[in-house]
Amino acid sequence: MKIGIDLGSRKVKFALVTEGKVARLDTFDTLSFYKRFGRMKGDELTFDLEGTGLFSSRELAEATVTATGYGRNTLHLKGVRVVSEIRAHVAGALFQTGLRDFTLLDMGGQDTKVALVRNGALQDFVMNDKCAASSGRYLENMAAILEVDLQELSLHWEEPVRLDATCGIFGESELIGQILRGHPIARLCAGVNQTLVKRVVPMLRRFPSEIVVLTGGVALDGALVRLLENEGFTISVPPSPQHNGALGCAVI
Amino acid sequence: MKKTGFTTTIPLEVLLAAGRTPVDLNNLFITGGRSLELIETAEDRGFPRNICGWIKGIYGAVLESGIDEVVAVTEGDCSNTRALMEVLSLHDVATVPFAYPHDRNPEALQAEIERFMARFGVGREEVDRAGERLEPIRSKIREVDRLTWQDNLVSGQENHYFQVASSDMNGSPDDFEAELDSFLQEARLRAPSGESVRLAYIGVPPIIDDLYTFLESQGARVVFNETQRQFSMPYGIRDLVERYRAYTYPYDIFFRLADIELELARRKVDGVIHYVQSFCFRQIEDMIVRRTLSRPILTLEGDKPGHLDARSRIRIESFLELLGERT
Repeated sequence: MKIGIDLGSRKVKFALVTEGKVARLDTFDTLSFYKRFGRMKGDELTFDLEGTGLFSSRELAEATVTATGYGRNTLHLKGVRVVSEIRAHVAGALFQTGLRDFTLLDMGGQDTKVALVRNGALQDFVMNDKCAASSGRYLENMAAILEVDLQELSLHWEEPVRLDATCGIFGESELIGQILRGHPIARLCAGVNQTLVKRVVPMLRRFPSEIVVLTGGVALDGALVRLLENEGFTISVPPSPQHNGALGCAVI
Repeated sequence: MKKTGFTTTIPLEVLLAAGRTPVDLNNLFITGGRSLELIETAEDRGFPRNICGWIKGIYGAVLESGIDEVVAVTEGDCSNTRALMEVLSLHDVATVPFAYPHDRNPEALQAEIERFMARFGVGREEVDRAGERLEPIRSKIREVDRLTWQDNLVSGQENHYFQVASSDMNGSPDDFEAELDSFLQEARLRAPSGESVRLAYIGVPPIIDDLYTFLESQGARVVFNETQRQFSMPYGIRDLVERYRAYTYPYDIFFRLADIELELARRKVDGVIHYVQSFCFRQIEDMIVRRTLSRPILTLEGDKPGHLDARSRIRIESFLELLGERT
């Protein structure tokens, strides 16, 4: 029995794996999770896992616990093994897809990671740096400006309105300008999805593979998948893209 | 003795022959303890946010230190230096341009060095004497470097320090040599380091202050500091012009890469950290570096002085993990 925890910038994800099978997946909002169950002991962050009610005390006693994510440098939990995010996500993708050769594109709340995997091993990777304008958080902001939910945003890919701002905040005012020009919401949503493609394609071209495995919360954006396919990529989204890192921790 | 600042390594022999106290303005800026404030001063006076931190830091350091004579390397380093030179002249700082010919043409470099000597009123004989004074110091720096990669007795940070300080010999060749002597004596008595991952650091010296210590806390050690080593004129060449033709930093990237490839093999390097400064033209050259070198590369970008940020730490940890799995 194995528990994996992925402490993301927007969500904390949990996975319980028993005998190689996914037994349970769960998600908490990061801020409320830290407020309710986390506390600092000296310089170290500790969590009251039992208090979350996600796992029985028997499970917590028997399972090995592995964690990754933003808080991991300060994370201290008795018996918890801490691994790097890249390692966790690659392990998750290997476990979920059964593939051995692929390029992993993980798009989370703030991070975009691209990793080259050959024969089941990590070869090289890049991560966004200095700027998070191709992240889940950016999509949330843009959806709020358009007054649509993420599900609606993820439906539209046709005839994207051109958006060029390199900054996620200036991008908001650019979007407002395009709303004023009277473009239909569907084309504006497609435009927002297209901006993600423009940002990640240079990273993907660096590590060419026959298959791109797309994970992270942004993988739920079907329009993004369609737009990446239009760029010539073959995209595979595993069954639980948001829990890929947590699953990776559990199986590593 | 009058202090003369410079923006990147220049023929130090000329300044010493002229009786000047040499000051590498990069070192003055980064070691003064007020580097962030110096950048803020420059930005308050109108330097753009999206210009290299070193240029702004040098500007602030010159004004604060009262140095009134600066050698600006206008070819072979970034063109921002030209504008820096012009702005400094508004503050009554005398500026002396120095240009490395991009094609490493020996006649062109000789003419430039002779023009430089004339500006400081010294002849070839005095300059060669200064070179002979520097050679034993440079040779001791080579020994520090050898103890780093061959005997594993010196840390990446120490290797960085002695080589980067060689651009101006900390302003005093005699004192610097004494410091080297006592360091070498102490280092030879150490037990060899048992690190698992051997790294090369290539690119301009880091503006970040805890990179080497962080790497060592993660079980990795820098055994090759590319540019810093170049500052120490590492080839033991007696002829002044040839010495500065062999210096790779100011010439084209392919010449630099040939030296890097050689050292990666000789020092049995597992992976390379390519440091690039935000807004620097050398960020473009990262493409060529990645295409040429045969080792895994992590490109690390730094903007302002200070500690490594959380994102860089995550990237470094993942890179070291990747290297650990390969070796």
